[in-house]
Amino acid sequence: AQGAQVSFGSMQQDTSAPVEVTADSLSVNQSNGTALYQGNVVIAQGDMRLAAPRVLVVYSEQAGRIERLEATGGVVLVSGEEAAEAERADYNIEAGTVVMSGNVLLTQGPNALTAERMTVNLETGSAQMSGRVKTVLQQQDEEQTGN
Amino acid sequence: MARAEGLYSRVVAWLKIILPLAALALLSTLFLLSRSGDPMMDTPFAEALASGETVQQKVSAPYFAGTTRRGEMLIMTAESARPGLDGKIHANSLEATLTQSNGATIQLNAPEATLRDGQQEALLEGGVRIESSTGYVVVTDGLISEFNETRARTTGPVKGTAPFGTLDAGGLQISPAETEGDVLLLFTDGVKLIYEPKPKE
Repeated sequence: AQGAQVSFGSMQQDTSAPVEVTADSLSVNQSNGTALYQGNVVIAQGDMRLAAPRVLVVYSEQAGRIERLEATGGVVLVSGEEAAEAERADYNIEAGTVVMSGNVLLTQGPNALTAERMTVNLETGSAQMSGRVKTVLQQQDEEQTGN
Repeated sequence: MARAEGLYSRVVAWLKIILPLAALALLSTLFLLSRSGDPMMDTPFAEALASGETVQQKVSAPYFAGTTRRGEMLIMTAESARPGLDGKIHANSLEATLTQSNGATIQLNAPEATLRDGQQEALLEGGVRIESSTGYVVVTDGLISEFNETRARTTGPVKGTAPFGTLDAGGLQISPAETEGDVLLLFTDGVKLIYEPKPKE
């Protein structure tokens, strides 16, 4: 499948920076310990913001470590001045990647790209889009490019 | 027969007078000249009695155990419990442990608790510490918990640690989940969690 390599996020992201999750409510199931955030959840790390109505926390084997956060129900990822929307996003904190899936729309200034899936590598600030990638490039009109 | 002459018999005669007198004197020191200590003073009284807590009914180290309808076991112990007015029971340094059928536990500690038998409710105050087996340890100022069911809600904001970071929230509700035997910790009114990703070994 054809894919597009784009840069995402103005500068490299420090993936060991603290991750802050704010939400309206958090419900924890006592038996298996799954934690589900609900109600305009915002995950913030550095200048990256991931907003979604529902986020499920998935633990890694070692205690006290989060493997990834599954955001569902319409997700918006903002980093620097770029923004990306999708139905679902899996933010793998340990690997420092965000995998967005379900008609992804990435806007970079005037340009817009749509695809089925997008994998953002926060460390290198690059994004790999795949699955019916379509790019809409805004034509700069003459007088703007005159200078 | 007359007393024989001689020193010996005179000494014995005098001794017969002096010795009983000496005995009498010795005996009298036992009763007449006894020490002035008031015997009531140093008898060991309980301090509670001395500080006036004479009328209180008090149960020390009470222990309450019960199971809720859904099979969760609730064990409550305290340092002491006193009956208050209209059916209230005041307990101090209460510790309640709730064990689910699958072994998950929630432990509540509070310096003061008022148990209202009428509504099967306990009000825990004075800084309640809530610890769950899933790794959540939070502190709040008050909590209302029910006896007959695993249901509790805090009366104020909660602060503490989650298994993966520090957490504070506007409130916490402990309630039975829909699925049988499950209990939900529901942090409400705004939740904020900070997770420090551990450096990858």
